[in-house]
Amino acid sequence: MTAPQPRRGLLTTPLRVDPKALAPEVGFFRYGVVGGKVLLTNDGGEFHFLPTERFDTFLRGKIDGEERAEMERKGFFKTGLDIDRMAGRIRRKKGFLGSGPHLHIVVTTLRCNHACKYCHASRTDMDRVDTDMSLATAREVVEFAFSTPSRVLNFEFQGGEPTANFPAIRFIVEHALEKNRYENRELLFSLVTNLTLMDEEKMRFLVDNGVMVCTSLDGPEDLHNQNRGWIGKSSSYQTVSDWMERFNAAWVDKGLDPNLFHVDALMTCTRASLSRGREIVDEYVKRGIKSIHLRPLNPFGFAVNTWKQIGYTMEEFLTFYRDTLDYILELNQAGTFIQERQAAMFLTKMLTPDDPNYTDCRSPAGSGTAQLAYNFDGSIYTCDEGRMVAHMGNDFFKLGHVSGSSYAEIAAHPTVRALAVASIQDALPACADCVYKPTCGIQPLHNYMFDGDLFGQRPRSRKCQEFYGEQADLFRRLAEDTDGRVEKIFRRWTIQRSRPGTVPYPNLPFSSEGSA
Amino acid sequence: MTEPQQAAPNGLQIELGARRVSFVVDEALYPLDTIQGAAYLFLDRCYVFLDRPADQRVAVVLKAKGEADEPTLDALAGEFANELLNQALRKAVGASNAKIREFILAKAFFSVDAPSSIDKLLAELDAEEMEPLEIPVPWEKTDG
Repeated sequence: MTAPQPRRGLLTTPLRVDPKALAPEVGFFRYGVVGGKVLLTNDGGEFHFLPTERFDTFLRGKIDGEERAEMERKGFFKTGLDIDRMAGRIRRKKGFLGSGPHLHIVVTTLRCNHACKYCHASRTDMDRVDTDMSLATAREVVEFAFSTPSRVLNFEFQGGEPTANFPAIRFIVEHALEKNRYENRELLFSLVTNLTLMDEEKMRFLVDNGVMVCTSLDGPEDLHNQNRGWIGKSSSYQTVSDWMERFNAAWVDKGLDPNLFHVDALMTCTRASLSRGREIVDEYVKRGIKSIHLRPLNPFGFAVNTWKQIGYTMEEFLTFYRDTLDYILELNQAGTFIQERQAAMFLTKMLTPDDPNYTDCRSPAGSGTAQLAYNFDGSIYTCDEGRMVAHMGNDFFKLGHVSGSSYAEIAAHPTVRALAVASIQDALPACADCVYKPTCGIQPLHNYMFDGDLFGQRPRSRKCQEFYGEQADLFRRLAEDTDGRVEKIFRRWTIQRSRPGTVPYPNLPFSSEGSA
Repeated sequence: MTEPQQAAPNGLQIELGARRVSFVVDEALYPLDTIQGAAYLFLDRCYVFLDRPADQRVAVVLKAKGEADEPTLDALAGEFANELLNQALRKAVGASNAKIREFILAKAFFSVDAPSSIDKLLAELDAEEMEPLEIPVPWEKTDG
């Protein structure tokens, strides 16, 4: 049985709130009520739970003993406040600022052999070779990516189905590796593919060059095939399954740890998925996949037209999320390790001094500053969703072109600056006061799509509902975790292991996660 | 048709109407930005109208977006009143900590504890240039 969805910002649990009682020694805090307790958070990313009846005691500065010492250490009182520690934590949490775009999404083609019900990737039919990236453009993409200042460059191939234009993938990998002999960046390649155009030669190239593979797996065969229609002769599910096993075996043959080297998978939740969370998780566990990302539909592009068929309210999604997370935790408590990636992202922000630099949940947003997307024709966009918006006829998120723009021009583009301004939580109503502000992030593009402006209105924002509901659920679990068993599992989810033996990427575990 | 006034839990005098509830807030108790902050959080549930019927008075009208019975409207006003208190507390916490937060943020992002990489580079270049020019060598030890 899951808890009812909390209302954002509003404290419906009776709580004695007396603004005039505030003692001068009480430090800065934000607050909310979860799991029957008051949750306090602060700028340093610390949190603390108080019984609701102790909130007034806290406001009056009357907390004492061990709890007082703990709260002073966390920075909830000015007395005993270690300013250097607090400043250091803030600096570390925002360490991603100024490091430049690490995620370079390359759309090698718009062609795709699938016609998924929820596709937002702006696909074209397989005969539209005019939407293939040329090798000349591919070269310019690599040159442009290397002109950015980030010490880490993650080339993420997307489409369409990117392997429909495999020569562009091969060229970019080889050219980037060659160029990196003197550039000495940390390089990462990842391929988001439906695997149905894979063959032995392509697989060998990818495995030999350290290209990690991520595919779509929506759950059991009937659900996967229902969501992901394609024009092949066999079932999409069977083809994906076969190639996942072959890739995993190929990495084992190279002597690599299968816990680190395996095909990653993404699932997208449609209406048909809502009642099948356990089966979806079982499908992942059965394949030895250690991580599942429970993702709501992105109602852009084609999905807008099919929304009535496959869509749902955010409240329905959050119920699915909570129920499925219950099951994932049951499995972990029984000894089967599997993490939920959205939870792991938030938990890294909650339980560690770091921020995972997840470009879709940052403040300021990572669009244009942490990630760039290159369309097949060399046009540069703030992010992959920005490219999709362009496909819908709106070029607002286009920043330039690989053949004529410099990185300085892109970084100073009015759209990039507007996106940054629109995603600074301290300047946004509701966000500035929200108890989840230290662990949340903004996606101005979503506001633009739903509200018609980059700033949007938080109470009406679907993305705010999603992030707020997920964080509320995670903090509730921590508040109710009297024996520490849940926190132990959660902390394990925040531990990232890099993949030795391939291109290194020690601090950037998350990508934008497009649809394969 | 307007119903007789009722008292919300915190003493606000509320008026119930068709799909709407209204009340007047004293700005001496709740400043305008506090009222606006509370109003913002209700945007998804109702239409919010603010007016100034008199000096230091702000009239708040909450109009339901769909059908709403009397208890629902009453609860809406009650929640708004509670949120006014929360907004007032947040404002007090912000004001009480404004200077120290500014100091901490300045320390976090503009600290001079560690020289920037550009400063380091410039210092190295300066050092390299100084040797050939013998600038560090005392003038009395130079030839000529």
